[in-house]
Amino acid sequence: MEFYYGLAQTIGIHTLLGLSAYIILLTGQMSMAQAAFYAIGAYASGMLTVLWGWHIVPAMFAGAALGAAAAAAVGFPALRVKGLMLVIATLAFGEGVRLFFFNFDYQIQKGNVKVGPLGGEGFRQIRYFPENGWTSGEVMLFVWVFVLLIMAMIWWFDRSRYGAVLRAVGDDELAAQSVGINLTAVKVSAMTIGGAIAGLAGCLYAHYTTHIEHLAFGVLQSVFAVSYPIIGGLASVFGTLAAVIFVQGLLVEGLRFLGDWRNLLFGLLIIVAMVVRPSGFLDGQMLRNFRRWFGLRGRNA
Amino acid sequence: MFDFIQAILDGILFGTTYSLIGIGFTLVFGVMHKINMAYAAASIGAAYVGLVSASAMKAASAWAVFGCSLVAGGVLGFLVYLICFHLIPLRNENATLMSTVGMLLLADELISHATTGAPQNYPATLEDVMFRFGEMSIRGDLVVVFAVSVACTAALLLLLYRTRLGLATRAVAQQPIAAQLCGMRVAQVNALTFVITGVLGGIAGALICSAVGSLSILLTGPLTVKGLIVTVIGGLGSVPGAIVAGLLVGGLENAFQHFRGVTERDMYVMLLLFAFLIFRPGGIFARGQGRD
Repeated sequence: MEFYYGLAQTIGIHTLLGLSAYIILLTGQMSMAQAAFYAIGAYASGMLTVLWGWHIVPAMFAGAALGAAAAAAVGFPALRVKGLMLVIATLAFGEGVRLFFFNFDYQIQKGNVKVGPLGGEGFRQIRYFPENGWTSGEVMLFVWVFVLLIMAMIWWFDRSRYGAVLRAVGDDELAAQSVGINLTAVKVSAMTIGGAIAGLAGCLYAHYTTHIEHLAFGVLQSVFAVSYPIIGGLASVFGTLAAVIFVQGLLVEGLRFLGDWRNLLFGLLIIVAMVVRPSGFLDGQMLRNFRRWFGLRGRNA
Repeated sequence: MFDFIQAILDGILFGTTYSLIGIGFTLVFGVMHKINMAYAAASIGAAYVGLVSASAMKAASAWAVFGCSLVAGGVLGFLVYLICFHLIPLRNENATLMSTVGMLLLADELISHATTGAPQNYPATLEDVMFRFGEMSIRGDLVVVFAVSVACTAALLLLLYRTRLGLATRAVAQQPIAAQLCGMRVAQVNALTFVITGVLGGIAGALICSAVGSLSILLTGPLTVKGLIVTVIGGLGSVPGAIVAGLLVGGLENAFQHFRGVTERDMYVMLLLFAFLIFRPGGIFARGQGRD
């Protein structure tokens, strides 16, 4: 049972990461810095609970706020330049943040051990859950409460005026601008929300694994984050969830018997998915099919 | 003081390889307005294939390895074009970008499988040759790196500005539709651009590995990031910009390392990129205001 709780936690955290990239992708931008916001949330909330004894919930909000602040800060200069420049700028920002944590030492004496982040060794002993007697089932529920909250929030965004504005910018910037949409405000706000969600995911990740280090926040993690919504499709938040379950549940856990060869499959899977379904698994057409089969009325119905 | 000048000099010499990688990124961007994220990984892959095939042919000298890497680079470049750009509709911006990222991961994993994760010894071009000028000395193999890179760049510029293929490449970069109406085969030009950048990448990969002394997958990540930084600082699509930016990044990186140590070095390179994004988003040689 413990194994499935762990798997459910991983799927939940990765869903949050995917959703953080999803909302930015809706505006037609691709951010490769999601791992950086994730790292900022993880380190900040870990330090708050371990070094200063905060409760986990305020620490999570602090982590999300810092992630959002970092995203807004990187969004402003980077969004003045277009599309592909943002990919490069955010990629470099992500590497910069990882290197920052690689060099970041801040330890204090607590009891008879020193705790806190220690450069390349990482940040050990983020033991908030075990110390307060949470079982892994409770931790899983805690993670999924946040996943469902964020999913519901973005699903609601998608049906609101704000979601329409995001998609308008993503579909055709010029047309959106000429009907009076402020492009910078829309893009930076999407980036900020994405940063907050990634920060939240980082906080959950740090407390779930209890040990974080800079290597967990490399370019690969950002690639994972953007690949979920792209593989899953941008028509609905459920595409991202489906992609996470497929990759983490089926590919990573289900194919363990393949050993090292499994890693090869991830790169190959992205390529094959893009060749077979360039706009993702759950694209507009697929969503309409689902609605027809199940007799649901959709937003465009 | 001499240490400092020495560090910058070494950096500039090694920076020529960043220029080559930057040119690869920038040429593809210029022609197709796409970024081929798999480029640096494919270059290291070509260097590895070159190493293996040269030793299979019992020719282990550095120059034989270079020749094999060059050919392998061209083939890999064509394969990347075929899989990531030919099979996927180009208007799906995210799909083509994502598929090259998938290619990057695949190339990384293939190299790490083939080498079982261990660094491979790479033959050096000039071993233990040092040129001395008073207090300063220059490593002989870095001079070779510099010379080969300059020769490649010169060959590329000749190709771009003195041949029909180069004319077609520049025409497609400027106006793909007009070029097509004039009877150029745009797909063919695109494919050839990938082969040319692949050849450049194969040479760059072999040069980098021989200068470092070993080949390992740890090279691909930093090289991808550095190559992209060089591309942005030089201005997306500008070949002269990429050349200058490569030397600039190479020199400054060693200067940062001299003052702040190797673990912090790359952080300052990222800051340099952000300074460029804010103050000169169009790159070094941008005309007028490059921002929107």
